[in-house]
Formats: sequence, C-alpha cells, structure tokens
Amino acid sequence: MSDQHIASAYDRDLEAIQAQIMKMGGLVEAAIVGAAESLEKGDLELAETIIAKDAAIDGLEERINEECARAIALRQPTASDLRTILTVMKISNNLERMGDYAKNIAKRTGVLAQAHPIDGAGGSIRRMARQVELMLKDALDAYIQRDAELAQDIRHRDGDVDQMYNSLFRNFLTHMMEDPRNITSCMHLHFIAKNIERMGDHVTSIAEQVIYLVEGELPGDDRPKRDRTSYENAEPHA
Amino acid sequence: MNDMRPLERIVDTETVKISARKCQVFYGDTHAIKDVDVDILDKTVTAFIGPSGCGKSTFLRCLNRMNDTIDVARVEGEIKIDDEDIYDTKVDPVQLRAKVGMVFQKPNPFPKSIYDNVAYGPKIHGLARNKAELDEIVEKALRRGAIWDEVKDRLSEPGTGLSGGQQQRLCIARAVATEPEVLLMDEPCSALDPIATAQVEELMDELRQSYSVVIVTHSMQQAARVSQRTAFFHLGYLVEYDETGTIFTNPKDPRTESYITGRIG
Repeated sequence: MSDQHIASAYDRDLEAIQAQIMKMGGLVEAAIVGAAESLEKGDLELAETIIAKDAAIDGLEERINEECARAIALRQPTASDLRTILTVMKISNNLERMGDYAKNIAKRTGVLAQAHPIDGAGGSIRRMARQVELMLKDALDAYIQRDAELAQDIRHRDGDVDQMYNSLFRNFLTHMMEDPRNITSCMHLHFIAKNIERMGDHVTSIAEQVIYLVEGELPGDDRPKRDRTSYENAEPHA
Repeated sequence: MNDMRPLERIVDTETVKISARKCQVFYGDTHAIKDVDVDILDKTVTAFIGPSGCGKSTFLRCLNRMNDTIDVARVEGEIKIDDEDIYDTKVDPVQLRAKVGMVFQKPNPFPKSIYDNVAYGPKIHGLARNKAELDEIVEKALRRGAIWDEVKDRLSEPGTGLSGGQQQRLCIARAVATEPEVLLMDEPCSALDPIATAQVEELMDELRQSYSVVIVTHSMQQAARVSQRTAFFHLGYLVEYDETGTIFTNPKDPRTESYITGRIG
C-alpha cells in the first residue's frame, strides 16, 4: 500500500491534525512535570504558570475536534484513515483530561505550602508523576511510529502507577491516624495521588487507541489492575 | 498556537475574479436562474451543487456565454470578470472563451492527434510564432493536465484512442493551452472511474494555484473534497454560498442542510 493519497491535500490535512496531537501531548507532558515540581518545591509561581497554560491545551482539543469534524465531512475517511481520525479525537480527549488533572495538582500547591508538611510525600508524588509522564511520552511515540508492541508495554506499566498509588494511599491513612493535624495535607495529597493515578489510566487508554489504530481492534485481554484502594479501610492491618 | 499550519482548505485569497449581480436566465418562458448574486474568488476552486434542474449548469454556462448558443435562452443582470462586463456588446465571445476555458461532462477530444488537440486553441488564437513555440505550449499544457508522461511518446496518435480518464485530462490540457484565467468544469468526472476521478481532482487542486476553477458536480463528496467555496443552488436560486467546510459541517440554510444530509433532492 502506498503511503500517499492521490489527493495530496488529504495527506496534508491528516498530517496537520496529527501534528496538533503531538503539540498537545508536549504541553501535557510539560504540565505534569511542572505540576509535580511546583508541589515538591512549594513553587507558587510555577504553579500559576501551569494553571494558566491549561487554556492552551483546552484550545487545542477544541481545534482538533473541529478539524476532525471537517475531515469527516469533507473526506469521508475510510479504513486506516477513519481509524486515524477516530483515535485522534479520543486521544485529544484523554490529553485534555490529563491537562485538567495537572492543573488541579498545581492549584493545590498553595494550600499544601501552608499546611502541615508530610515527610517524603513530595518526592513520592514527583516519582509517580514522572512515571506517568514517561508513559505518556512513549504512548505518543507509539502513536507516531504506529508501534502496537510499545503500546502493549505501556498498558502493563500502568500497574506500577497503581501500586505507587496503593502505597501512598496507605501511607496517607497512617499519617492521618497518627496526627489529626496531618488531615488537611493528606486529603489534598491523596487527591493529587488519585489524579496522577487517573492520568495513568488516560495514558493506558491512549495506548489502547494506538493498538486499535494499528490492528483495527482494541486489545481483548484485560490488563492487570493493581489499584486495591477500593477495598482498604482505616482499621490497622491484622 | 498561531504558528500551526492552517488546514489546507481554508481560502487564502479574497480577490474577486467573477462577480454576478441580479443574474436571471430564461429559457423561453421558463425562469431558470433567479436573482443570483455571487462573487467567485481568484485562485480558488468553487463548487456548484444542487439537485438536477436547480440551475447550476445553466449559471456556469453564463460565465463564458455558452448560453448564447441556445436560441431561446436570455440572460439578464450583470456578470463581470475582472470588473469587465462580459455581456457588453464590445466583448467577442470567442475571445472570452479563450480566457474562460471549459471542460465538459463527457471527454470530447477532437478526432485529431493528441498533439493537434492541444495545439488547436493556441494556433487559432495566434499564441505561437513558430513550431518550436507551439511544441513548448503543447508540452506545458499536457504537463499541467498531468498526462504528459503517459502520452509524450505517442503525440501523433489520435486523442480518441486514449482511455476515458486520459481523454478527460487531455481535454483539460486542451482547455489550459490557451492560458485561460478561469476554468469551468461541468461534471468533469462523472464518466470516470474512482482513480481517474482522484487524478482529475488532484489536478484541480494544482490548477487553482494559477486559475479560478468553477466546477459543477452532482457528487457532494466531490465538492467537499476539491473545493474551497461551495454554492448550493435550488429551484434557480442561489440558496447558500460559503466556505466549503462551513457548508458541510454547519450550513446556515435549512434547505442546504436537507440537501447535503440527503433529505431532499
């Protein structure tokens, strides 16, 4: 199969749409790293920048949606072209949500800078955010390279993020039980950890879209889920 | 975000090439075109769509005075190309048609060689001083018609011996040989297979670098693919005229919406 359409403008349209997804992905990666950094260092100025930049991510999502609608109306894409358009729309939606989570983390930086500090929490959150950011980077690479194997690998790596979240969850619970002054910090930190865990799910969804794009169907196997917090309670473990 | 290349299909010129005001066409007592006002842009593909009998071909034929050849047809109102009234008595319709080329539904090569098909127009309009110049014009036109590579070794063979898609591209080459400024195409792909259609469509996209291209098509998908501006005609009226993306994603008039979504025809 030739890579090019006879209508060269069609190729240029598809490339332009995908270039926007890459641009959006780059902004989201930067937002994740920045949000975690602002949190760890209590850097309110950086947090403000992250919050302000979310508008650009939202703007790109809107634009990608419009352009996909246009491509569907004008080109009637079929087969791999159709899958490209469909996956672009879903991925942009995943990225937009991730941008929102990063913004939410940055918003909590202010309160946490004032609240009772929790030892080691900033570092753990940063490592977890870093892990998600790397997964996102690989997912975007997998998208551009049309690499289903790499995408499959990313799905499995989300299990590590879930485990980090489990251990933070228990950690925060312990801190809160030890000293009620930790509650404010731990509540906010828990939302942050949960947000990052959700980001990992969105990256997983992007990876699944890559598999759909390449193979024409979503992966059939259930991926391992390691988020156990739904079953946790505050009673000390027997 | 402004550093991003805008999507291909956005119109990048605002120069008006053809302007019609209060245009009316009558065939005897039949009022076929009613009060059409339109500004067609230069270096743009403009598509006319609409159900059969809506007047889109009739209006297209006003743009190079092809309706003059029909005895009962009468055109009123004003049509200007480059601000010049083409229905002025001083205008020679033959000269006008050299400036406003036309390609028809069925490929209609002359029963002559491939070379002569293309050379005919430049010859009668005196565009070449000698054989070498004529050769050059023919090659250039065949290249623009995206058919040069396929016919360069058999220029003396009859044009009618080519395949349908090749004949249509030959007719396009013939139309561009006189260096027109406007190219009118009436259903240029309806007799072609999908691949030949795609080649002609790609050609239109190239031609719009230099010309104002106006195409009448029954295929809404084709209008969507090739044009930057789309005009929807219905019962002799120009119902809606807008950027193609807008017409196909968010038309303003309910009649346009009904037509493009397949609810009226």
